[in-house]
Amino acid sequence: MKEFTVRFDLGDKAVQVPSGTLLSEAAQLAGIDVNQPCGGQGRCGRCAVQILDGTVRRRSTLRLTTEDVALGYALACQTVVEGDVDVHVPAQEKIERRLTTDLTVAEVRVPSDYLFSADQSIRRVKLNLSEPNMDDQTDDLSRLLTALRQQVGLAPVTVSLATLRKLGGILREGQWEVTALLDTGTEVGEDLQPARLIDLLPGLVADIEPIWGAAIDIGTTTVTVWLVDLVSGQVRAQASEYNGQISRGEDVISRIVYAGKNSGDEELRQLVLATINSLIERVSQRAGEQAQDLSGRTVKAVVAGNSTMIHLLLGIPAASIRLSPFITAVNQPPLLTAQEVGIDIHPEATVDCLPGIASYVGADITAGVHASGMDLSEKITLFMDVGTNGEIVLGSEEWLVACACSAGPAFEGAGVANGMRATRGAIEEVWINNNDLEPNYRVIGGAKPAGICGSGLISLLAEMFITGIIDKAGNFNLHLETPRIREGAQGPEYVLAWKDETQTGKDIAITRVDVDNLLRTKGAIYAGYNVLAESVGVSMEMIEQMLIGGSFGKYINIEKAIQIGLLPDLPWDHFQFLGNTSVRGAYYALLDRKSRERITEIASKMTYIELSADNRFYDAFMSALFLPHTDLSKFPSVNGMFAG
Amino acid sequence: MALSGIQIYKLLPQTNCKECGFPTCLAFAMKLAAKQVELSACPYVTEESIALLAESSAPPIRLVSLKSDGYETKAGNEVVLFRHEKTFYNKPGLFVKVVDTESPEAIKAKISAADRYVVNYVGIELTVDGFAIEAASGDPEKFSAAVKLAREASKRPLILVSRDPSIISAGLKALEAGESALIHGADKSNWEVMAALAQEHKAALAVISTDLETSADLTEKIRGKGVEDLAIDPDTTGLGAMLTFNTIARRMALKKNFKPLGFPIIVFPKDLVAATQAISKYAGFVVIDDFKPDEVYPLLVLRQNIYTDPQKPIQVQPGVYEINNPNSEAPVLVTTNFSITYFSVANEVEGSGLPAWLMVCDAEGMSVLTAWAAGKFDAERIAKSVKGSDLASKVSPKRVVLPGHVAVLSGELEEELPGWDVRVGPREAVDIPKFLKEAL
Amino acid sequence: MPIEIPKDKWPGSVRQVVLGATAAEGGTRTSKVVVGGETCMPFMHFEGAIPNRPVVALEIRDRRPDDWSPLLVKTWENVIDDPAAWAKAAEEVGADAIQLTLSLTDSAGQPMSPETAVATVKAVLQASGLPLIVFGPGQSEVDNLLLVAVAEATKGERLALGICEDKNYRTIVATAMANDHVITARSPMDVNLAKQLNILISDMGLPLDRVIMDPTTGALGYGIEYGYSVMERLRLAALQGDAMTQLPMLVTPGYEAWKTKESKVGEGVPESWGDWLQRAINWETMTAIALLEAGANILVLRHPESLKQVEAAIQDLMTAPDMVSV
Ligand code: SF4
Repeated sequence: MKEFTVRFDLGDKAVQVPSGTLLSEAAQLAGIDVNQPCGGQGRCGRCAVQILDGTVRRRSTLRLTTEDVALGYALACQTVVEGDVDVHVPAQEKIERRLTTDLTVAEVRVPSDYLFSADQSIRRVKLNLSEPNMDDQTDDLSRLLTALRQQVGLAPVTVSLATLRKLGGILREGQWEVTALLDTGTEVGEDLQPARLIDLLPGLVADIEPIWGAAIDIGTTTVTVWLVDLVSGQVRAQASEYNGQISRGEDVISRIVYAGKNSGDEELRQLVLATINSLIERVSQRAGEQAQDLSGRTVKAVVAGNSTMIHLLLGIPAASIRLSPFITAVNQPPLLTAQEVGIDIHPEATVDCLPGIASYVGADITAGVHASGMDLSEKITLFMDVGTNGEIVLGSEEWLVACACSAGPAFEGAGVANGMRATRGAIEEVWINNNDLEPNYRVIGGAKPAGICGSGLISLLAEMFITGIIDKAGNFNLHLETPRIREGAQGPEYVLAWKDETQTGKDIAITRVDVDNLLRTKGAIYAGYNVLAESVGVSMEMIEQMLIGGSFGKYINIEKAIQIGLLPDLPWDHFQFLGNTSVRGAYYALLDRKSRERITEIASKMTYIELSADNRFYDAFMSALFLPHTDLSKFPSVNGMFAG
Repeated sequence: MALSGIQIYKLLPQTNCKECGFPTCLAFAMKLAAKQVELSACPYVTEESIALLAESSAPPIRLVSLKSDGYETKAGNEVVLFRHEKTFYNKPGLFVKVVDTESPEAIKAKISAADRYVVNYVGIELTVDGFAIEAASGDPEKFSAAVKLAREASKRPLILVSRDPSIISAGLKALEAGESALIHGADKSNWEVMAALAQEHKAALAVISTDLETSADLTEKIRGKGVEDLAIDPDTTGLGAMLTFNTIARRMALKKNFKPLGFPIIVFPKDLVAATQAISKYAGFVVIDDFKPDEVYPLLVLRQNIYTDPQKPIQVQPGVYEINNPNSEAPVLVTTNFSITYFSVANEVEGSGLPAWLMVCDAEGMSVLTAWAAGKFDAERIAKSVKGSDLASKVSPKRVVLPGHVAVLSGELEEELPGWDVRVGPREAVDIPKFLKEAL
Repeated sequence: MPIEIPKDKWPGSVRQVVLGATAAEGGTRTSKVVVGGETCMPFMHFEGAIPNRPVVALEIRDRRPDDWSPLLVKTWENVIDDPAAWAKAAEEVGADAIQLTLSLTDSAGQPMSPETAVATVKAVLQASGLPLIVFGPGQSEVDNLLLVAVAEATKGERLALGICEDKNYRTIVATAMANDHVITARSPMDVNLAKQLNILISDMGLPLDRVIMDPTTGALGYGIEYGYSVMERLRLAALQGDAMTQLPMLVTPGYEAWKTKESKVGEGVPESWGDWLQRAINWETMTAIALLEAGANILVLRHPESLKQVEAAIQDLMTAPDMVSV
C-alpha cells in the first residue's frame, strides 16, 4: 500500500501514513491533539483543519460551507489521505467562529442616526441668568423659567419642590450661570407630558460630559440593567442578576398569589427594587464612577418587563392578571419619577415604563418587537422571547399577533438541579462521544464548571438524545455500559462532570426530572408558536425569518435547538439570535423618542391571542413533548441523522 | 369555504379604531372566523366585504327546526365530518314512534311514559324530543285521532309518518296552531302534493329514497315549490347502507357545497345497534320503535357524548364521589371537575382497590394546574367544598389529600380547614395507587 | 340528478397484523386472525379496500375475578374457575380470539408466580385453538416478570402480549422480539401519546407489523367521546401516510363498560335506568359499536350477548352496499 507524508504546521511535525488514513489518525500519530468532542463522528465540526496543499478525500463536510471547503477546510475525522498533504491546524476558537450553527448574540450598536440634540427627550441647557438687583426683583424661579423660555424656548416647565428648595443656592453658587437638565416630554399613550426640570447644576457643564440613563428589563427570573450615556448613546456597562423575587415563587402566577397575601406585594416590590438597585450600583462601578455620584446623575430610566413584573414594581395589585378574564390594572403606566418608584438614581429622574398589551404579553414584548425590527419588515417574521414565560409574536409590517405560554425558567438555568445563569463557570456547550458516552464541555470563562446554563442544557439534551442516553420520550436507557448513567436520588441521571472537576466539589448531573422539565419548556414554546401561526393560517414554511430573544447564554447552537425540537426545522440562515431583546428595546426607547413612539404603535396594533382558549394548544403541546417531536416529518433533518 | 382570521382581516378597514369592542381589527377578524361575533359590530366594513363574508359563512347543511308549544328540536348546521375538527352542533332529536293501529290506551300510555321520562347524566337532565305517529291504518280519521291523542299526552314536536297525502293532511289538521311538524314523507310519486301540504302547514318535509340521486332530485324539485325545510331519509335497514348514504350526503354538502343534499338526515333504525350508528354517524332525527329506558338512557348518553364540544370538555358534577365503598378511615382526595381529570383520578383510585372519598371541586371545568393558574382552584374554594359536604362528620382521622401540582396550597388549606390533616399527593394520577398504599 | 361522489384517495393504509400461528407456521393454533390492511375509513367500501374484517375477542381470567359485575359472574359461573374451560366456552359462543388477563395474585392471595402464569396460558392454548391475547395484571414489574416467562414458554405461537406502556415497554418488546410474538401498546386516550409509544417501540427494532395499539377509550358516558375522537384521528393520520399510526387498534369495551356503575350495580339506581341486565348488555354493545365505527380492529368483550350483536353488526358493515357504484 502506498504511503504518504502528512505535514502539520502545528509544531512542524510530519508523519508517514498509508493511503486512506484519516487525518485525525495521522494527527494522533504526530502527537497533535485535534479536538474531537463528538468522538470522531463527523457531527460537531470541531475537528476542522485546513488543507494547504495535497490530495485528500472528504467523506463528509457537514457544517462546512462551500466557501470553507474552497478555502481547504476539512473535517479531520472524516477526511482520508490520498497523497502528500500539508495541514494547518487552526486554533479552536477560530474554528468555532466559522461554524454556521452557532449564533452569537447580535452586537449592540448605537443606532447610526442617533442625535442627542434631536432624538433625546432629556435636554441639557446652559443658562445665563441676569443677576437680580433692587430694580429687578423677579423671584428665582421666575427668573429661571423666563430664561428657559427666552433662551431655549421651553415653556411650560414644571419644577418639583425638592428642586425649589435648592434653587436659590445653586443659582448663586453658579453665579447666575447654571446648567439645567430637563425632560422635554415623551408621548406616553395619547398625551404629551409637559417639560419637567429634573436637576439644576451650578456653572456651565461641558457638552461632552455624559448624561446617564438606565435601560432596565425586569424578567420573572432575571433582571438586567444597562447604563447608557445619553449623549453618545453608548452602553457603558451591563449587569444582570436573578430577580430577588424568585424565592417567593418561580413563575408569575405564584408571585401574584404571594403578592395577594399578608402584604406580600410590598415585600415583592422591595425585593425587585433591591435587585435593581444593586445592579445599578454594579453598573455604576463598572462605568468607573462612584456609585453615589453616578446614580445621582442618572436622570432617566426606561423599564421593560412583563405586565406582572411592572405591576409588582409599581405596587399595583396584580390579582386580576391571574383571574379570568385576565385584565391588567394598567397597560401603559404614566411617566413617574425615580423617587416615586423607589429606584436609586436621581430622585427626580424620569421613569418610563413601556406599554404592554395584555396580562401575559407585556412591555418586554413590545420592546422586544421593536428591538427585533419585525414591525418594519415585509417578511413574515416569528419573534420569540424565551424566558420564564415564552412570548411569541408573529407578523410583519402589516399585522402582528402575540401569545404567551408558560414555559418555565429552565432555559434560564433555574428549576434544574444543576442549572445556573449564563455567567462564569457555566457549562455552555456539551458534546458526548457516541462510543463511550464520555462528555466534552465548554465552560464560560474557561473556569471549572459550577453548573449548566440554558444553551448548555439545550446542547446536553440534544447530545443525550442523539447518543441514545435517553429515548425520544426522555426515558434514560439504564442498560448502557457507562458509570455516568446511574440511579440518583431523583431517579436516573447522567453525570456530566465528576466532582473532582467541578467548582462546587459535587458531581454535575442532569436528572430525569430535569429532562422532563426541559421537555416541557421546549414543548410549550414549540406548541406556542405553532398554534399561534396556525390560528392565523400561517404555516411554518411561510415564515421567512425567525428572531430569538432570551437569556440562554451568549450564543445558541441552532442545530442543537432544532434537534431537541425547540426551534422549527428551517434553514439555519432563517434564524437570528438577539439575546435579551427586552432590555435592547428599552435601550432604544431610552435613547430615541421615535423609538419610544414606535413601541406605543406596536402596542396598539398587536393582537393578543389567548392560547388556552381551546384544546389546540394542549394537543400541540402533547405532540411536542417528545424528541424532537411526535410528528417526525416536521424534523426531516433530525430524522435524516438517524436514518444515515 | 370558511375564511381564516387573516383572510377576513384583509377585508376589514385595518384602522384598529376599537369601535367593534376589540382592540384591533385582527382580533375582531379572528372572532368573526370563530363565529363568535356579528360582522355588523364594525361600522366601517365595505359593502363588498360584507357580500364576500356573507357567502363564506352560509351553513352548508340547512338548520331545520321542529317546533311545538314550548319545545324546539333543531337539526343541521353541521360543519364537519369528524367531531374533533370542530364540533357537532345540533344533537339529533330522539323520537319515539307510535302506530295508529295500536289502541288509544296503548298509544297514550306509551307517549305519556316517554314524555315524562327524565334521566340525570352528570347533572344534566336528558329527555326524548318528540314522537313519530305512523299511519299503519290507512285511515285518515284514525290517524287524525292518534295525532290528537299524542297532543293530549305530550306537547313535544311530532313527525307524521305516511306517504299518503290525504292521511298526512288529516294529521296536519289535527295539530295545534303555530307548531311545525315534520312530514315523512315525500317520494317520487307524491312529492308535489306533499310539498304543497308542507307549504300550507309550515311543516318540514322528509324525502325518502335509498339512492342519493333520487334524494337530490326530490329536494331540488320541492325547493322549487318553495319548501326549504327538508330532511332526507336513506330508507334502509342495513347498517352498511345507512353509513354509506349518510357519509356521502354529509360529505357532498360540506366538501362540495352541494345544496340538494345539504339537509339533516332522518333515520328509522331497526334496532339499538342501528340507532347507535345513527347517532354517531350524522343523523339529525332518530326515530326509535320502542320506548325502553334501558335503551333510551344509553342512547341519550351517547348523543350527549358525541355532541360534546371537543374544544370544551365536559365537566362533572362537583361533589363527593365514593370510590370502593369508603369507610370513616378512608382519605379525602381533592380534584377538579374537569372530566378527564376526574375520570383519570377516579379510575386510578378504583383500580387501586383502596377506598377513598373523592371531593370534586367546581373549578369551572379546568384541569388542576390550569384551574390553579386561573384562580379557580385555591385553598378557599377547596375548603368551601369540604365544608359544604358532610365529610367532616363522616371521616376520622380527617385527612385531605391535595393534588401534587398544587402543593403550594397546603399551608393555606391548613389554615382554612382547622382540624384537618392536609397531605400532598402525587402530581400524576397514575401514581395515586402507590401513594394510597405507601403514603397513607 | 347524477352525482359525482367525492371519494377520499388516501396515500396510506393500515398495516396488516397476524395473531396466532398454525402448525404450519410453527405454532399450534387452529385458526388465526388477520387484522388491518384497510385503505379507507371504517366501512367506506366505495373508496378503498377493507381486506380484513374487525374481530371480536372475549376476555377471560386466569381465576375467578374479584371485581366483576355479578351479572357476568352468573353468565360464566360454570367455567369461571377454570380458564381452559372458559376459553373453550368463549370459542363456542363465537369469539374470534381469546383475551386472557393474568391476575396479580392467585386465588389463595399469593403473588402470581411465572410458573402458574405459564401453566394457565398453556392450558388455555390446549383448550382452544383460537389466537390468544395475554395481558399482565398491569403493574410493570409483575407484568415484566410474568410476560417474559409466558413469551418464552410459548415461543412461536404468535400471541399478542400486553400491556406495553411508555414507562414500561423495553422488556416486553424485547421478549416479543425474541420469541416471535405480537405486542399491544397501550396509551392513555391521546393521539400523540399513542404515536410516541409506537415510535419508541419501533426504535427498539420490533417491526411495526407486530404491534397493535390500544388507545384506551373510556366507556359510554365515561369519556367515550375522547377515545372515539382519538381513534378517528389516529386512523385519519394513518391513512394520510403517518407510518407511526398505521397500526390496527385493539379496544376493550368489555372492560370499560362493565366497570361502570350502570353495569355493575342493580339496586338503588334510578328507575329511569331501566332493566339491569339489558342495560348492562346495551352499555357494552353500544360502547363497542361506537368504537367499531371509529376504527376498532379488535374488540375485547365480556358478555356473549354483546358479542353476538357486535358480530352481527360487523357482518352487516362488511358487506359493501350496492347503492353506490365504486
Ligand atoms: S370597528 Fe372595524 S375598523 Fe374599527 S377596530 Fe373594529 S374591525 Fe377594525
